[in-house]
Amino acid sequence: MTTNMAAGAVAGLGQAGDAGALVSLRALSRSFGTVRALDGLTLDIAPGELVALLGPSGCGKTTALRIVAGFETADAGSVTVDGHDIGPVPAAKRDMGMVFQSYSLFPNMTALENVGFGLRMRGLKGASRQRKAAALLDMVGLSPQARQYPHQLSGGQQQRVALARALAVEPRVLLLDEPLSALDAKVRLQLREQIRALQQRLGTTTLFVTHDQEEALSMADRVGVMQGGKLAQVAAPAELYSRPATVFVAEFVGTMNRVPGTCAGTDEVSVLGSVVPVTGGRQAGLTGDVDVLVRPEGLTIEAVPGGNGIVTDRTFLGSLTRVSVLLSGDTEVKVDMTSAVAASLGAGTSVRVGMAGHEPVLVAARS
Amino acid sequence: MAAVADAERASAQLPAPRRVAERRSFPVWRWLILLTAAAYFLIPLYSALRFAGFKAFTQVASYPSFGSAFALSIRLAVITTVLTLVLMVPTTVYVHLRLPRLRRLMEAITILPIVIPPIVLIIGVLKVAPGFLLGTPNLLGLEYVILAMPFAYRSLDAGLRSFDVRTLVEAANSLGAGWPATLWRVVIPNLRTAMLSATVLTIALVLGEYTMASLDNFQTFPVWIVNFEQNSGTVSVAASLLALFVTWLLLMLIVGVGGRSARKRGGPQVTLFTVATGGAGATPGEPE
Repeated sequence: MTTNMAAGAVAGLGQAGDAGALVSLRALSRSFGTVRALDGLTLDIAPGELVALLGPSGCGKTTALRIVAGFETADAGSVTVDGHDIGPVPAAKRDMGMVFQSYSLFPNMTALENVGFGLRMRGLKGASRQRKAAALLDMVGLSPQARQYPHQLSGGQQQRVALARALAVEPRVLLLDEPLSALDAKVRLQLREQIRALQQRLGTTTLFVTHDQEEALSMADRVGVMQGGKLAQVAAPAELYSRPATVFVAEFVGTMNRVPGTCAGTDEVSVLGSVVPVTGGRQAGLTGDVDVLVRPEGLTIEAVPGGNGIVTDRTFLGSLTRVSVLLSGDTEVKVDMTSAVAASLGAGTSVRVGMAGHEPVLVAARS
Repeated sequence: MAAVADAERASAQLPAPRRVAERRSFPVWRWLILLTAAAYFLIPLYSALRFAGFKAFTQVASYPSFGSAFALSIRLAVITTVLTLVLMVPTTVYVHLRLPRLRRLMEAITILPIVIPPIVLIIGVLKVAPGFLLGTPNLLGLEYVILAMPFAYRSLDAGLRSFDVRTLVEAANSLGAGWPATLWRVVIPNLRTAMLSATVLTIALVLGEYTMASLDNFQTFPVWIVNFEQNSGTVSVAASLLALFVTWLLLMLIVGVGGRSARKRGGPQVTLFTVATGGAGATPGEPE
């Protein structure tokens, strides 16, 4: 199922950045031998928008990015930038900046020379090239390292130089291929904010590929969750989290509980003593006993003797505490609650778990 | 944790002499092997030096046709090296980038000149070589290109494996560099040490090759040494020692130059036949 909400986003973000281009991926397909890496991927990226492609490894997200970059060719489908089909255009002439997963700085050049490389290829001469490269290096906060070679820089610094290098040519599209995955957690967090801030300031249309949902949700205007070479859903992060379109998306993004329930009425399900509506109506073939998908914050806990569950564990997350409860029937669920309340719920406490609201839920076949 | 601590305590309590012996046992073996190898190589050299005597060295250059033989060898070395690099660098780069599955096959093909005896090669070449090449040193140069292939390919292959050539090429492409610029500004500078090593091996090979040159009727330096042996054994031995020394100097040069440029750029220390360590050469330095 492909949920395409791009049209609305394009209209809404049209004036966000002048530098950015409108990028459209149309029904892209690509097979490697018998493996179908991309299976009719369609996606629009509005000018100045940052879209993250999120998915498990092998879902085709990197293939999509490499086709846009010009390093792979699609078996079918097209990529257009501002309406022009770029299929026949070689990578060197596509005017795209790319930051790679592995360190990709030229080892034989200093940080400054690396940033100036693209400018040199565009025929920018001596002093003006130096000035521009220095300005870009300053933008990522690495002026003091201008004369250093890549091996003298830390991983985070190298990726910042790579970002400056990609942006120096004022690309119409910025492509980020898991640029943070080789870095340690703290640097990753800093760099993620820096990339997003720069991207917003420059208004560069950006396609960002990652398998890290936190990264995708925190940086992107919209996130496309990919499954089997297709988009399962593309939506703003909050919407993706609160209204996942499919069971795959629901379980891939964030933590999701599966709670046993029973289909009741036409489009409702009975779960934990409540009857709640099913998102988008009941899917064909789902009858009788089902699994109901509920977020940890969608459940409530009440300490009562002889309840429907027993507390097994607590994980302190700061203001919230995630409480693990073993329901009768051997189902374990996680419930988020304020730490103050959770403090009284030690392991072994008998509790009653219920539904927090009346929001529509997704149901899946009993696993 | 506790087990580790226990082990440390236990080793600390070992009697001192035994620990020293453990530490020393390796170096003793190493020294033994090193000395045996050194004797194997140095005794013949020393004997040759004794046999030739120092006077012979001063006489080498003054003997007839030494100059022309040496010049011919140098000329062949230049032809062979240039041709080898021009042919092999783009080929290995192309195989690495576009046909990685052919790498095994390439390895097998490039080892052929070592497997096939030179005598077979030369007879085959003389049978099929076009007339305008027959009797010219250019033909010998072409033959040497084939002989140099195994060494050149292995050096370049190791060099290419020491950095992430695919990512660097893609990065250059995405920044607007076409193929010539990518090759010239990105691939070759990072392949310099490997090319230097291929060069030295090729030169060493050309300066020492006898079979093909003599069958082709060219008086190259090695052929001259053999021919001259009939006149003066001592001078011919002195000449071969000189050849050895020149080659050795070249090797030292590449190790020195390669090491320095690698240190500067933090790349892998590619020397002769460096076995690739894989992955990108540069590792992150100091923390942020």
